[in-house]
Parts: sequence; structure tokens; C-alpha cells
Amino acid sequence: MDAQNVDMFLMANSKYLEDYQMPVIRERMLAMDEGHWRMLQYMQFNDPVVILIISLVTGFLAVDRFMIGDIGLGVAKLLTCGGLGIWVLVDWIMIMGITRRKNTEKLMMALY
Amino acid sequence: MSFNRNHFYTYLSAACLVGYGWLLLIGRLKPAEIGTSYDVCLIHHFAHIPCPACGSTRSILALLHGDFAGGIYWNPLGFLMLALLLVLPFWIGYDLVLKKATLLRAYHFFENALCRKWVAIPAIALILLNWVWNIYKNI
Repeated sequence: MDAQNVDMFLMANSKYLEDYQMPVIRERMLAMDEGHWRMLQYMQFNDPVVILIISLVTGFLAVDRFMIGDIGLGVAKLLTCGGLGIWVLVDWIMIMGITRRKNTEKLMMALY
Repeated sequence: MSFNRNHFYTYLSAACLVGYGWLLLIGRLKPAEIGTSYDVCLIHHFAHIPCPACGSTRSILALLHGDFAGGIYWNPLGFLMLALLLVLPFWIGYDLVLKKATLLRAYHFFENALCRKWVAIPAIALILLNWVWNIYKNI
């Protein structure tokens, strides 16, 4: 793929992805053919800040976990009163990183 | 979250152990006494509003005493949690002994099923209805 397109994509989406994976993603994207570009252009990522706000407001209902696609853990969080409240507190700190990891996993699945 | 088999079974075993430990600790009490003596739900503690899962322990204890009506009254989710507590240790043991991953596959199947609209919407509606009932009962 064209290096300029790849860099533009990474600049536009860097806040959604894990920083340390960027070089790997860039290399992989450069090695891909142009046909994948359109598919990547329309990929939707969860915004970590939005998920954090959702976690702060509705974390005890596990809506944050459901939104990022952790359905099983979401059910577990919901059934345990948000891990007796402790899981809710931990997720307030962790959820932005977890969202970036899920976004990166999603992109990686599209790339490989 | 993409678990590998061993991590998944370790977390699940730990969760079951905590569940059984909690039931052993609190099992000597009558269901009605638990809400006043052990208010472990932070949401209930601080906001004074029961969460959708509040009353599950009382429901499980009622069920263990053979009181099905009490089980439904305290929280119908207690049935699901008791079923999980009873089944999961055996399922984990089965998979570990036979070196299979049937439970992990079932977990992924369950996750995928819940992503479907016609499963997710009724499930969310039921949970919300249960929550409203919990608030109405003021558990």
C-alpha cells in the first residue's frame, strides 16, 4: 500500500490503537495490496474516551464490556454486581487500555 | 477477550472457588439477614439502589434450602448462578482430564450467540425488567 495512505491512516487512528504495535501495523499495511485500502478506510474503532465515560456512568451494568465486545466478561461483571464494585473501579482505570487493545486486535485480524 | 484454554480455566476455577467460599462464609445466615449484615454491593452501599444482581446470594441460599419461591423472589439470576456453580467445576474437570476445550468452545459459542440481535435484545430487556423489579422490591 502507498506509504502516504498508511501514514495518514495511522495518524488518524493512533488514539484508538496501542502505541507499541504501530511499527508492526505500519509494516504489515505497507506489505498489503491496494485492494485492502478501501476495507481499512471504513473500519470503525471504539473511542477509548467514550468507553471510559460509559464505564464511569454504567460500569456496574457492564455496558462498557459489552460495547468493546467482551460479552462473556460483561455477563460475569453484571452477575457479580460489577465484581462487588471492585471490578467497576478497576475498569475505570483499565478500560481505555483494554479498548485500545481490542481495537488493535480488530485491526490485526483485518490485516492478517 | 481472547483467552487461551489454561488461563480461561484458571480464572473460571478461581471464580468458582470465590463463589463457594462466599457461600460457605455466609451460608449460616438466613436469606433475609444477609441484606442487612453483609451489604457487599458497592452500588447498593453508596447509591442505596440495588443493582441487577443484588439478591443473588440470598436466592442461591433459598434454593439450597429447597425454597424455589424464595429463589425467584430474591433474584431469578440466582438460578443461573447456582447452575453455573454446580456445573462448571465438573465441566472444567472433564476438560482437564480428557485434555479437551469443550467449555472454552461453549464460551465462544455463547459470546457469539449473545452478539445476535434476536438474543441480545430479549436478554437486555429481561435484565432491565429484573433490575426494575429489584428496585421495586428494594432488596
